[in-house]
Amino acid sequence: MFLSRAAGCASGRRRVGLMVDLNLLLQGFGTVLYGYNLIALVLGSFFGIIIGAIPGLTATMGIALLVPFTFGMTPITGIVMLLGIYTGAIYGGGIASILIKTPGTPAAAATVFDGYPMAQKGLAGKAIGIATVSSGVGGTFTALCLAFFAPILANFALRFSAPEYFALACFGLSVTITLSGRSPAKGFISGTLGLLISMVGLDPMGGFQRFTFGFPELTGGISFVPMLIGLFALSEGFRQVEVILTAPRVNAVLKDIVPKLKDLKACAGAYLRACFIGLIVGITPAIGADTSAFLSYAETKRASKHPEKFGTGVPEGVAAAQCGENASTGGDVLPMITLGIPGDAATAVLMGALTIHNLQPGPMLFQNHPEVVHQIFSGMIAANIIFVILGLLFARFFARVINIDRKYLVPLIFICCLVGSYAINNVMYDLITCAIFGFIGYLMLRYDFPVAPMVLAQILGGMMESNFRRSLAMSRGDVTVFLTRPITVVILALAIFTTIMAVRRQRQALKMEEELARRTAEAQ
Amino acid sequence: MKKVDILAALLLFPVCGYVFYEAGSWPRLPDLGNPGWIPSGVSVCLLIATIMMLARALRGRSLTLPGRLEGVDRARVLWIAAITVGYVVVMNYLGFIASTIPYLAGFGAVLGERRWARLAFFSLVVSVAIYLIFDTTLNVPLPRGWLR
Repeated sequence: MFLSRAAGCASGRRRVGLMVDLNLLLQGFGTVLYGYNLIALVLGSFFGIIIGAIPGLTATMGIALLVPFTFGMTPITGIVMLLGIYTGAIYGGGIASILIKTPGTPAAAATVFDGYPMAQKGLAGKAIGIATVSSGVGGTFTALCLAFFAPILANFALRFSAPEYFALACFGLSVTITLSGRSPAKGFISGTLGLLISMVGLDPMGGFQRFTFGFPELTGGISFVPMLIGLFALSEGFRQVEVILTAPRVNAVLKDIVPKLKDLKACAGAYLRACFIGLIVGITPAIGADTSAFLSYAETKRASKHPEKFGTGVPEGVAAAQCGENASTGGDVLPMITLGIPGDAATAVLMGALTIHNLQPGPMLFQNHPEVVHQIFSGMIAANIIFVILGLLFARFFARVINIDRKYLVPLIFICCLVGSYAINNVMYDLITCAIFGFIGYLMLRYDFPVAPMVLAQILGGMMESNFRRSLAMSRGDVTVFLTRPITVVILALAIFTTIMAVRRQRQALKMEEELARRTAEAQ
Repeated sequence: MKKVDILAALLLFPVCGYVFYEAGSWPRLPDLGNPGWIPSGVSVCLLIATIMMLARALRGRSLTLPGRLEGVDRARVLWIAAITVGYVVVMNYLGFIASTIPYLAGFGAVLGERRWARLAFFSLVVSVAIYLIFDTTLNVPLPRGWLR
């Protein structure tokens, strides 16, 4: 599924417009904000906020869970719905942070610092209002940046041939080390298993069967979307079964939800910092909304005239965290849509969704479907505005969603995962794949094997292998082809550098964790 | 945790060996490189990472994890896994609605719901709603089975 990119790039070198085409962008708005597309966008944002607001459900899970609902839709309707879920869920995490001191999504952890104290002071409505507008500001800024920078990057990427794509896949795989959680070894194991899974099926050049064990269903490889749904959504469902508790109760009364202009003016500095931090963090592979939110919060606190007040319920704290959180979304989508390299788990799922709709992310998408690309940009911008409107209008409803009984929510998650997997090709094999990977994903989560590297490696494995073999075919078997092309060398060097830095950072973090545990034990 | 890491390593070693062996048996194609190079390289990387994890486990430096799943909690997870397997097996024969209603009811019961009327209503409504959404609205056919 991911194999045809480099060949296409090598053959067709038609240029992509270097700048965003404003005409197409406006037409994109016309398409996205009309009829079924608008309904899909609003519904996507609405469900996204609900998913984000419920602790334990992440944006990645939300997209994976609702991908099957887009099968019967036109590509752009389905994609704008998923963009709505993505941006809405990232924002929605802040609601639970403010009301119950539990982040709805990991990215919303920084919102707890000042959001919850504001709620304790009886300012929950004001905190949610500021969080909503701040998320909208960050998200819209970064979506605009995506629209302006993506064509430039895609135009550059059109120069790439098989060796560059191989190097790019290696760089993407090096990123998996960064996604490895606490143990580089376990992240590496997860990533290499993902690579092996990507090799199941037919050899990309020779056409013979590999690792199929005689099962004809495996000839086409392991079904990607059922695997994705299993690893990201069903596994979380199992986790919820394990820790099922009575849902936390929200008793806060929400008033003054629409923020006043003077409150927003006071947050202008925080917005400026958070927007740029979010954009840079988002573009950087493997670090996403959570890092962006924390960095934005820390930087706003550092720059404040009253840093000591942070943590006691300061609106700027909420604004910085939420703005930084959503400001990373456009940056996260950028490498995925221009290079076909997903930067994190959520964009990996989005990439899977695009391929289901026969849209292969990468520079060729800009060349072959410029109208779709601009509709995606428009959809991303519109999604950020729509969740603000929904967030302000239905804040009280979203707050009550947190009270939802898990005894009904968890079965619903399971059934959506299983039915959704079946619905892809209407075959039981996909259903079984989802169930198996759901349980494997649960065991991985439980025993600290990160899931994201496995999925990213599965996506990049095919790209890496086929382009490696194509490069050798181009050079008649000469492996020095990877060392004689400047762009390839630079990308490979970057991959090595990223790996070394990630391993070093994780080892330092682990040492600090061990030291902390030792000191705590000594103190006790 | 130490035991889990050791067990995982013991499961992964044969995988590495199998991949390495299998990759060596593939036909070579002129000027396209050996098709086994990348799988063999990946299996070597997997082996190295597994050895690293095993070494940490044997030195008692495995990561600490949440407490062991025991008693009622473990039973709940295993029950859900079991009824999910059952659901996957029977769905094609019984059909979507006929298999989903008992599945959802059983699921809720395992999670501790004892308000039976509410649970039955939920199971019925969700099953029919999902059927209508996929089969009728999105034109994605779901298994009809013997009972539809």
